[in-house]
Order: sequence, then structure tokens, then C-alpha cells
Amino acid sequence: MLVLDNITKYFNRGTINEVLALNNLNLTVNEGDFITVIGSNGAGKSTTLTCVAGGFKPDTGAIRINNEDITDWPEYRRAAFIGRVFQDPLKGTCASASIEQNMALALKRGKPRGLSKGVKDKDRPWFREQLATLGLGLENRLKDTAGLLSGGQRQALTMLMATMVRPDILLLDEHTAALDPKTANQILELTHTIVETQHLTTLMVTHNMHQALTFGNRLIMLDRGEVILDVAGEEKKNLTVDNLLQRFYALRGEAMGSDRLLLG
Amino acid sequence: MATCPRSAIREQNMTWYAFYGALEQGFVYGLLVLGVYLTFRVLDFPDLTVDGSLPLGAAVSSVAITAGINPYLSLLMAMGAGFLAGMVTGILNTKFKILHLLASILTMIALYSINIRIMGKPNLTLLGTDTVLDSVSNLGLPPHMSAPLLFACFCAVAVVALVWFLHTELGLTLLATGDNAQMITAQGVNTHTVIIFGVGLSNALAALSGALVAQNQGAADVNMGVGTIVAGLASVIVGETLFGCRSVARAMIAAILGSVAYRLAIALALGLKLGSFSFTPSDLNLITAILVIAALVSPQLKSRFRK
Amino acid sequence: MKRIILSLVVTMLCLVPVMASAAGKVISVSQFVEHPALDAVLKGTQDYFRDNKLDVTFNVHNAQANMATTVQIAAQIMGEQPDLVIAIATPSAQACAQKIHGTPILATAVTDHVGAGLVKSMEHPGGNVSGTSDMLPVARQLDLIREFHPGIKTLGVIYNSGEANSVTLVKLLKDACDAAGIKLEEATVLNSAGIYQAAKSLVGRAEAIFLPTDNTVISALESVVKVCRQNKLPLYAADNDSVERGTIAALAFDYYKLGYQTGAMAKRILFDGADVSTMPVESLQELSLHVNLKAAEAMGVTVPESVLSRAEKVIK
Repeated sequence: MLVLDNITKYFNRGTINEVLALNNLNLTVNEGDFITVIGSNGAGKSTTLTCVAGGFKPDTGAIRINNEDITDWPEYRRAAFIGRVFQDPLKGTCASASIEQNMALALKRGKPRGLSKGVKDKDRPWFREQLATLGLGLENRLKDTAGLLSGGQRQALTMLMATMVRPDILLLDEHTAALDPKTANQILELTHTIVETQHLTTLMVTHNMHQALTFGNRLIMLDRGEVILDVAGEEKKNLTVDNLLQRFYALRGEAMGSDRLLLG
Repeated sequence: MATCPRSAIREQNMTWYAFYGALEQGFVYGLLVLGVYLTFRVLDFPDLTVDGSLPLGAAVSSVAITAGINPYLSLLMAMGAGFLAGMVTGILNTKFKILHLLASILTMIALYSINIRIMGKPNLTLLGTDTVLDSVSNLGLPPHMSAPLLFACFCAVAVVALVWFLHTELGLTLLATGDNAQMITAQGVNTHTVIIFGVGLSNALAALSGALVAQNQGAADVNMGVGTIVAGLASVIVGETLFGCRSVARAMIAAILGSVAYRLAIALALGLKLGSFSFTPSDLNLITAILVIAALVSPQLKSRFRK
Repeated sequence: MKRIILSLVVTMLCLVPVMASAAGKVISVSQFVEHPALDAVLKGTQDYFRDNKLDVTFNVHNAQANMATTVQIAAQIMGEQPDLVIAIATPSAQACAQKIHGTPILATAVTDHVGAGLVKSMEHPGGNVSGTSDMLPVARQLDLIREFHPGIKTLGVIYNSGEANSVTLVKLLKDACDAAGIKLEEATVLNSAGIYQAAKSLVGRAEAIFLPTDNTVISALESVVKVCRQNKLPLYAADNDSVERGTIAALAFDYYKLGYQTGAMAKRILFDGADVSTMPVESLQELSLHVNLKAAEAMGVTVPESVLSRAEKVIK
């Protein structure tokens, strides 16, 4: 349902800093896929997600969602069917707005906004219900400003906000990387629960190979802007970290990545 | 018998007239300060356009009144013109990727010439014409009290309207855009449209302020906008420090009261006599700077004393 | 909450009632900006009362070119409850006229009282405002220039299009030039920074340059003088100070005398019971002619004998 068709993107074209971020990238995401995306630094993982979300226009190629060509669509227009969680836990919520205001904003994603009350009384019970599923006690703090919450709490809230209105595709860009191990696990659990319950099509970028193998039904490995490995189903279930390293060496003739990738 | 440059007999620091005069200035410029609060604090968009849109509102309103149009209707026209001016700045910034500060300066500069064109000359008099102030002159209050009352009403209406608006769905997007543009974009909002609208709204308020100032002082003058943004910022900061900004409603009321406090402080300083030393109006900039510094430093001093 | 109460208390403490126990009459003055001409007006007015041994107290306020301050000064003046108000320059006059209704106001150093809305007509002001006008008799100044340059066909003028007085004067100048068959080349500036360029732009386009009493241009006169000397372009002004500073000649008002005349009008209102609404707006009839021979020589101009003989002051 999401197709990336021969996407190429240069950054800083024509200057000393020119870099080929995406090199004829092809990817087809099927409905219900939970794809984990790995690769060494500069492989193009975050760039791919940003491309799908609309953060930049590709130099060549096309992006289609449900057969609709959205290559020329600006970011805010694509947001109607995309849910995003960023690596920076502070980026997904408004620090100066209250929790209920943040949720009200997310509730209207993809819908026209008018002059009716921003936070409606009838929505509050539902907000509380949703927040209760996080198990963080936020349902009693609807009027608190989001800036008072910890990074983990804000990331959890962002996850909720990204999926309150069901997205056609959920983009998770290393969304646990900036959290401490305990909170990171909580967020991963939350991710798992939400994706399973709502059967969301998901792309999750991670630097952690262990995570990549544990979660999802499909794994892709990027290197220098291309997809070099794509395993799914049974094959993925049986993969180990060593396998991955061997296969990378076989494909690229060099050892893969950083310590962070291996040990993280 | 002597003709002295300053009356040696004047003992007061501020008369009731001067007090009401400061109230009057505080409220009439309070609308402008609301606009400055909207751009600087809510949208996080430094906007100098007001130096041009305040006289723009004055020009449009004066030309309309001189042509026989109802003074209240002229206020609406002034607001429309101010909105357009703000939109230009917003478009220059969002569509043409010009830095917000620079975009606003460009619009401000252009407005100087445009204002002269609108008025046909640099100074257009309103003496002897019908103004909105006539509508309160029959209330039985002396004119120096009815003017601040009228302007206070304008401010009250503006605050109520803005607070209501910022709590609507659209209004929330304004708050969000100024706080975290990436987040609100990911929630499907076109931040360009929001910025253009927000800067437009702010300058509509500045133009309304200008229209009222012109009707109050008896003329629209193309130079009346100089230093507006400085006074506006000083008022916002003084207001925040004195009255707090915990909620949107509170912050807006603080902005208006800050405007009043600013003008009162100036009136006080101008009337102050320490022996033979007294402030002159040319010290205005210095007084403004001291005020703002005091306002910004006092929270720090307070917390130090608490420790 | 505490803060608000504290602020209110402090404000209240500052409101001490006026102790205006002036023995004689009180005149409150609202001056727009500090400027040699305007300062001279004030001095002239004060000297009139001093010379005539009249007991008058002056409260002087200066807005330092800030429009908002003119309104606050008007409010301050209302608190002083003077017997007469003198407003110097148009913005201060307009603010006073708008806010002060019971007290007579004399607006001076205003070029166009009718255009500024201060009076209904120059002969019958009709309200509580009258005064003295510094409207330049442009026709007479054009005549002076033509005395220097009999066959002149193009005249240049530099002014700030944001100063209402200048705009009015230039319009009148244009009418006078049209009547005399002279082409008027205008160079406008927005601030003193653009004056050098404006002067240079007139080189080759005009045979002589005239500077009206424009605050912006006069403040940067030296740069115009420099351009005119370099290009042998004759320069004339409308105020006598400028002749000292390098223009060839000027047929000008003496602002001090204007102030003195204003003092006379004030005296009639304060001590002779004159009614301000029926006092016509006055202007100075006598003009003084100053000539600068050194400047004339530097710009390649010979001063006609007829001019030299009439000159009140000749600078060598």
C-alpha cells in the first residue's frame, strides 16, 4: 500500500558537501507489515522515513500510497494518513500546551479545523481512557502543560497522538534511542501493543539489531541509500545477529557498522 | 515676576490629568501590545511591521473619516489594511523564505511610502471631524476620563475575542505553530497559512491601535509609527514580569496592563524631580531600557533573596 | 494579586495634588522638538514678557519629536491649568487643540494652520486656537533667486516628503515656478542619510538649488554645500542660519521675531482681554536678507549690487 519507486536524493548537490542519500531506492510496503529498518550510519534510514513523510522532494522517483501518487504533496497534506514519532521525545508534543490540548490537536489530524472549541468536553472522557492505557497516571493530569512531563512520558504521549486517528502508515524514527533503557522498553512495549491492537502498517527505524530482529514481520537493511536486504516471515524469525553480519559482508565486502549497532 | 523655563512652584509628581493621560495612552496602545504579544510570544515571529502598520491604520481611518465615512466603520477598514500588511510580511517569510525579521523590516519600509500615498501628504488632520471619541463625550464624564474608558472597552473586547479565538481549533494551531512547527505539521496543519494569518491578525490590531491614536491626537502623521515596536516589546515584558503569564488569558491581560504600566512609568519619570535633575522626553529610550532591564532582572533578584 | 495591589498603592502615592500658587499668569508651552528655530521662537516669546516687565510663569515641555509624548504633554498641561497655552510646531499644536478646549492656544511655527485643522480660516480662527504662521513667502524668495539668475529655467529643491510643512511649501513653490515659466526639479529624501545623493542627483538637472525650511535637510546642510561647491551649483536657503553655514543667500524669517510677535498676541489675550477666536493668525511681514560672499565665490556666482545694498548681513 506504500510504494517507493526508484527514489534518488542528493543533498547539497554541486557543493563540496554533496552526498547521495538515497540511491534508486525501491520499497513496497504491504498492508499490515511491521518493518524494522536497520543500517549503519548514513545508510539512509531516517532519510527514507522523512521522504515518505514529505520532508523533502526526491530528485527522481515517485511515492504512492494506496495507488495515489503523493510525490508532490507537501508534508502537512500527507499527514492525513501518516503517524510519526520522532527520535527527539520533545519534538512530538507542544511544550506550552496542555496534555488535553495536545490530544485535541492530534484528534483533528487530516480533518479541517474550524472555530469550535479546541478541547471539547465530550472528548475528555475518551482522552482519559486513552491516557489510562499508558499506565503513567497522565489521565489525571489533563490540564498540565506537556512541558512538565519527562522525556519518556512525552514520547508515550506522542505515540498515542500518532495513532489516535488511525494512520495508514506509522513511521517510527529511532523513537527509543534518546530514552534510558527502562523507559525505552516501556515505549517499545507500548509500540508493540498499539501496532498489534490496531493492525497498523509500520516502518520502524532502529539502531538496535536485537530490537530489529525481535519486532515486526519483516526486516530491511539499508546501505548507502539502497535496500540491500529484505527478509520476512519465517526467514526473519530464524535470523540471528551473526547471520546479519555475515550476509552484510557477503553483499558489501566489508564489515558492517558501528559498535552502537552491534552492542546497542 | 521672573519668566523661568520651569515653574519653581510645581511640586507635584503627577497630576490626575497626567494619570488619566497615561491610562489613555496605555489602553490605546494596549491593542498594539496585544498584537506584539501575538507575534513575539505566541507565534515566535519577531515582527517589526507594526512600525508601519500603526500609521497605516491611522492613514486609512483618517482618509475614510475625512471622506465622510462613519468613524467606527473606518476602524474596520483600518484593521483590514493592517491585516493585508501583515499578510505581506507572512508571505515574504513563508513563500519567499525571507528571514522573518528582514521580511517585516521590508514591509515596514514600504509602508512609509504607501502611507504618504494614502494620505496624499505626510500629515492629515482630524481636528473638528467626528471621531469615535464623540460617542462617549455625552456620557457626562469629563473628556480626560471618558477617553481612557472608551479605549479600555476596546481592549476588553479585544482580549475576550482573542482568548476565545485561541481556544478554538484554529486558535490552537496558532499556539502550536509558534511552539513546535514540526509537530503541528505532522498533525496536518499548513504552518504557512497559520503564520500568514497570525501576522495579519497582529497587524490588524496594530492598525486598529493606530486608527484610535490618530483620532485621539487629532491627526494622522506618517512619522507616528517610529519606535512603536520598542514600546510594544517593553510593555509586553513589563506586563509579564508584573502580572505573570501562566495562562493565555492572563498573559493577554498582562500585556494590556503592561502597556498601562509602561506609560505610567514614563509619565512618572517625566514628572520626577530630584533636586535640579529631571528627566526630559529625550531620555525616553533610556527610561525604556532601564524599565525592561529591571523587569527582566527582578525575578532573578527575587530568587536570590529567597535563597 | 499582591503585586497588583502593590502597584496600585505605589501609583496612588505618586498622585500628589498640584500646588499651583503662581502669583501672576501661567503659560504652558508644548514644544515639539529642540531645534534652533523653535528654540528661538520660545526665547522670543519669553523675552517679550521680560522686556515689557510682565509677570508670567512659563511651564515648558518638550516632546523630543515623539508623537505619543505630545498627547501626554497635552494631558500634563491640562493638569497645570494655565491661563494660556503656546504650542510650537504642528504635531504639538494638533495634540493640544484636540485635548485642550477651555484654554486659549497660540500655535506658532506652524506653516499651514488651516491645513492642519487648527483654525477655520486665517482671518477668523473660530475656536480656541490662533497663532503665528511661518509660511514662507515663496514668491519673494523665487524673486530673489531670479535676481541672481535672471534667465533661470530650472530650479532644484531638496526636501523630506515626510514633513508636512515642506510638502506644503514645495507645492506653493511649484505654483510660483509655473507662473514664472521655471521648471522645478524635486529631489526627496526620507532621512538625513539620503541628502548627499539627492544633492548629487540635481547636478546637471538644475541651474540652482533652493532649500525650504525642512528640518531633515537643514540638519545635514553641510553635505549639500559640499556638492554645490564641487559642482559650482548655486545654493539658496530660506533660513538665516544656513547662510552662515554655506548657502549663498537667504530671505528669511527671524524666528526670534516670530516668537516676539507671538508674545505680543499672548499679552493681548492675557492682559487686554482679547478673544482668541477672533484673533487672526499672524505672520511676519519683515524678512531679513543675509548674503555669504565666500559661498557665492566658491559656487561661481557674482552677487548683484541690488542685493548687496539691501542685505541686512553680509558674510565675507
